[in-house]
Amino acid sequence: MSTSEQTSDVQGTRSRREALNENRVWHVYARRKYDEPLHEIGNVMADDVELAKVYARSIYDEFSWIEMVIIPRETIVTVIES
Amino acid sequence: MATTTRTDNAALFAILSSLADNKQAVGRRYAYWCNGAPALEAAVAAAAMTQDELGHARTLYPLLDNFTQAEADPTQIEPETRTLNYALTYLDNDFSGWSDFVATNFLLDTALTTFFEAAQESSYEPLRQRARKIVHEERIHQMHGEGWVRRLANAGGAVRAALVASLQRLWDETLCWFGPNDDQTMQQLYQEGILDATPDELRSRYLQKIMPILNSLDIDVPVSFDAATKQWHVNAPLPWSSWEAVGRRLE
Repeated sequence: MSTSEQTSDVQGTRSRREALNENRVWHVYARRKYDEPLHEIGNVMADDVELAKVYARSIYDEFSWIEMVIIPRETIVTVIES
Repeated sequence: MATTTRTDNAALFAILSSLADNKQAVGRRYAYWCNGAPALEAAVAAAAMTQDELGHARTLYPLLDNFTQAEADPTQIEPETRTLNYALTYLDNDFSGWSDFVATNFLLDTALTTFFEAAQESSYEPLRQRARKIVHEERIHQMHGEGWVRRLANAGGAVRAALVASLQRLWDETLCWFGPNDDQTMQQLYQEGILDATPDELRSRYLQKIMPILNSLDIDVPVSFDAATKQWHVNAPLPWSSWEAVGRRLE
């Protein structure tokens, strides 16, 4: 393989990776009992909301949650900055 | 010594064998991608779906022992000793890339789910019970397949081209799996109330599920929309001459 072919191959791989890079972060909240509030259990990265839902369910499956919601990070409004 | 009363139903035995082989093969192909998916989240989802698919196969293979047809060769009802392969030819080889995973998830898995949806009121109780559970678990697989088809298609360029090529390679064989409309196996299941649809009806239900996504993404497949009936129809002949009815796969 020539140097130029290698370069274009690397660029091809990079552009594919960039094309599939996930940019949106979703905070995952869940609860196990009706008498407890939702609390943050982690986050997932996905540009597609439906995929974000699939990822949240498959990654955070350690308990039988009665409720799980995801919230896009960009909608969070900081009140007191850390 | 316990005696077993076996059911004599070659059609049901054949379909259950094909369903189990396809679920097993899909699970094994998915398994390769548990640490090779484009993102960590997708890898975890692939692992979860692998477990589901292999689990579905594990609940289907034991049913084969309930049939007279199992007596001819008992080694063929155990996945460990089975040498027959009624899974799609597409699954014979490793996936060439993530796009093959997505195509299998979106096309084949959805086709098998369409079958199980038609068996939720089945007159054969063991299938009815399993069908309801499988349909429930498959909802998240469908979301995953649709989400990734959207992602790869919208990425454009080589990524979209790879997806389209994978979908095209799997297209005919998936549509053929339901069988021609006069397929004796499927027709018998329909007449016995084991299924609530004929092969053409199953194919139609399947197209109504997948076509809105493909159409919205301008992915070209040989299907047309009938505005009068508001239904999608296959508009190119399927390769029945190379379809093998026993294994329900293309040769």
